[in-house]
Amino acid sequence: MDRLYVIGWDEVPQHITLGAGESLKATFVFPSRVDAALDLTVDLTGPGAELDLAGIFVCADAETVDIRTRVRHLAGGCKSNQLFRGVADGRSRVRFDGLVYVAPDAQKTEAYQSCNSLLLNEAARVETDPQLEIYADDVVCSHGAAIGYLSADELFYMRSRGIPEEEARRLQILSFLSPVLSRLPESAYSLIGFQR
Amino acid sequence: MDEALKEITSKQYKEGFVTDVEQEYVPKGLSEQIIRQISAIKQEPQWLLEFRLDAFRKWQKMTPPTWGHLTLPDIDFQDIIYYAAPKKDSDRPKEIDPKLQETFDKLGIPISEREVLAGVKSKVAVDAVFDSVSVTTTFRKTLAEKGIIFCSFSEAVREHPELVRKYLASVVPAGDNFYAALNSAVFSDGSFCYIPKGVKCPMDLSSYFRINASGTGQFERTLIVADEGSQVSYMEGCTAPMRDEHQLHAAVVEIVVEAGADVRYSTVQNWYPGDDQGRGGILNLVTKRGICKGEGSHLSWTQVETGSAITWKYPSTILKGDNSSSEFYSVALTNNYQQADTGTKMIHLGKNTKSRIISKGISAGHSQNSYRGLVRMNSGAAGARNYSQCDSLLIGSLCGAHTFPVIKNDCPRAIVEHEATTSKISEDQLFYLNQRGVPPEEAVSLIVNGYAKEVLQRLPMEFAVEAQKLLSVSLEGSVG
Amino acid sequence: MIMEALLEIKGLHASVEGKEILHGVDLTIRPGEAHAVMGPNGAGKSTLSAVLTGRPGYEVTAGSVRFAGRDLLSMSPEERSWAGLFLSFQYPIEIPGVSMTNFLKAAVSARRKAAGLPELSAGEFLSLMKQKMALLKMKPEFAKREVNVGFSGGEKKRGEIFQMAMLEPVLSILDETDSGLDVDALKIVADGVNSLRTPETSAIIITHYHKLLEYIAPDVVHVLKEGRIVKTGGKELADQIEVEGFEGIDG
Repeated sequence: MDRLYVIGWDEVPQHITLGAGESLKATFVFPSRVDAALDLTVDLTGPGAELDLAGIFVCADAETVDIRTRVRHLAGGCKSNQLFRGVADGRSRVRFDGLVYVAPDAQKTEAYQSCNSLLLNEAARVETDPQLEIYADDVVCSHGAAIGYLSADELFYMRSRGIPEEEARRLQILSFLSPVLSRLPESAYSLIGFQR
Repeated sequence: MDEALKEITSKQYKEGFVTDVEQEYVPKGLSEQIIRQISAIKQEPQWLLEFRLDAFRKWQKMTPPTWGHLTLPDIDFQDIIYYAAPKKDSDRPKEIDPKLQETFDKLGIPISEREVLAGVKSKVAVDAVFDSVSVTTTFRKTLAEKGIIFCSFSEAVREHPELVRKYLASVVPAGDNFYAALNSAVFSDGSFCYIPKGVKCPMDLSSYFRINASGTGQFERTLIVADEGSQVSYMEGCTAPMRDEHQLHAAVVEIVVEAGADVRYSTVQNWYPGDDQGRGGILNLVTKRGICKGEGSHLSWTQVETGSAITWKYPSTILKGDNSSSEFYSVALTNNYQQADTGTKMIHLGKNTKSRIISKGISAGHSQNSYRGLVRMNSGAAGARNYSQCDSLLIGSLCGAHTFPVIKNDCPRAIVEHEATTSKISEDQLFYLNQRGVPPEEAVSLIVNGYAKEVLQRLPMEFAVEAQKLLSVSLEGSVG
Repeated sequence: MIMEALLEIKGLHASVEGKEILHGVDLTIRPGEAHAVMGPNGAGKSTLSAVLTGRPGYEVTAGSVRFAGRDLLSMSPEERSWAGLFLSFQYPIEIPGVSMTNFLKAAVSARRKAAGLPELSAGEFLSLMKQKMALLKMKPEFAKREVNVGFSGGEKKRGEIFQMAMLEPVLSILDETDSGLDVDALKIVADGVNSLRTPETSAIIITHYHKLLEYIAPDVVHVLKEGRIVKTGGKELADQIEVEGFEGIDG
């Protein structure tokens, strides 16, 4: 299954269960300039279940984005991946709270989580709270989180090639978002303030 | 391999002996009366008594924190003896009690200057704390020649009250948290260290904490002040006898680093961890915090945590001075039924402040091992950077490894990066070593030491060797 | 001349994750002999080396293996090592944070202890390292590097041969030691192996190609296909494979 959810437009599930051999690829879009929240629990309950979860937000104004995910490996032999990319500009507030839980005996688990944000304004705030809670030993789990800003070197490089500053910034943001952006149909780009 | 792993986790704690020495105690329990009594025994000034009583009143209104990933036994704070000290002859003897000398000899702690000067032990000054009192501090004279003050906390209160009063609770306020408040009310002894402006401390300083008496807790207080442009490397070690009941250790360490100063604080924590059924062991609930107060100051924390039934500990740094920097390097190993919830806080206030966190957790047996961290970039921290790498290694299928890092960024000119991985000990590595003839227990020990190397190599030489041995001993019986 | 066999494999069946890979292998190696085991991908070559060294995850379902008069299959991996069995890994394992010196010290000490020999002093051990490193023309900094971490393919294989020199095995299994090596590296490795050969030591050279056998001359060549040895001959068999491939070789 490959699903695209736009927060505030689509009915968004709160609890998903993936049994043996089931898989889900889901992408969540947080439209710009509106408050949006996601509170999602995914239980992997049978061997071979696979979850591929992604989310993207581009906060431009004073919106609040609140993301809470709980991915629970209740059976062994499952895979999960969570990939979030976003930008906080204006006076926006972003909070990411993501848990990967691996139950006792859920051996041969593979779980990844990554949440990277760009902070573009003095008045914006980003808080990420990634968590790994692991009770089985034969696992490969990792998470990464980063909050940073646009690279001045990159920007200069592009400008020195004649790309106007504003366009260069847009390109930088696009490149930062691209791992998730590439999962969206072009028709969805305008939701997050990109025209193409 | 399961069998072999089991063999390696049967742990032996060689520091678990009791010293038979006559001790004086205050009565069991905690009240204003007890606090007044402790203060009186120590002949403290009025302001310090007030400080204690104020902390006690705060503590009475507080409740123990419950956010740790820990199952704490109920602690009856009225069932603890808050002060225990080896009895002394009426006029203070010049020589240390032979029994105490013997104890520290057995623990390998150089409390005799002669040994050090003869080159038997590496050059380090030691403040040795036995239950509630400091029994000796070596090399005080040598250090005093450079203007360095290194003494027990009690002596500092008597001899340098102005310094103590200025800095005490300036980093960890009395009401900071439940256990810090308790410590502020009842702290007995600990180490005090002041390095004057521009002085590079000529030798490593260390405090060694020994719990001996039963039914007591240890509540030491350490205060380190590094004045502008000074440098010091500080080490802390600790052990306790094997007992079936838990003993409480609630310490506070405060470090003040002025402009351009450099403090390296290393801990090898080897409190009694309890037996292989989870009986007994030290409850290690401590607050350690430093402030990089001045421009370009630097504070580095290195810890190797192998002991204690429960560890609740977050050595933290407030990066206030512009261009100041701090590191936290940690190895935490839990085995049997040990629980550790440990990590750090890096609070970036100043411009261009830098911090780095390297944490290596190792869980074996039925233990639970958590990294908990906070990296905070305040809005003024332009140009600040943090990098964190937290790895967890699992040995056996009955333990848990957890990672709880929180990142808060309020500054669009700051960068925070966190990475964490969790995996089990590699069977390929084990087999490779086995094929070369290295038996499983030894193979695990080699792999774990290699895994922890990035942290171990930050320790002063002698400490590093000790820490390596400890990791191996602590892993005994874990190969399963 | 009749000599007692060093290694005697009889009717060996072995499986991985429930799937049988070896379907009855027979192989006898006498002291001083070098045997090449050749075969296409998936023939079971690496399974054979894994089973002989006791790698976890490989299950022997039938057959027997005797090594220097002992029941090899009942021994733990380290006991097999102490008895003189050495595997040069096809993919040497990285052990971060552990220096080659500490790694080999642990190996040599355990082996000496098992043999009832006194432990080498630090000085004796280091001079042994130096001597063997000189023999294989290794750079001194090699001893300080972490085991296989950041090694190139060639360095890893040379490292394996160096470990072989340190442990002085009676039977060495070279598992695809030639894979990923260019001609120069191959020659260095082969020279190392040859310089370590004695009339008492034997070798199993597992390889896909003919190239390595030009440098290390085998006494016997076996072709392993689909879990069985389908043909045994001399060096000329390797030459035949070089020309015709494995397709035409059948039992």
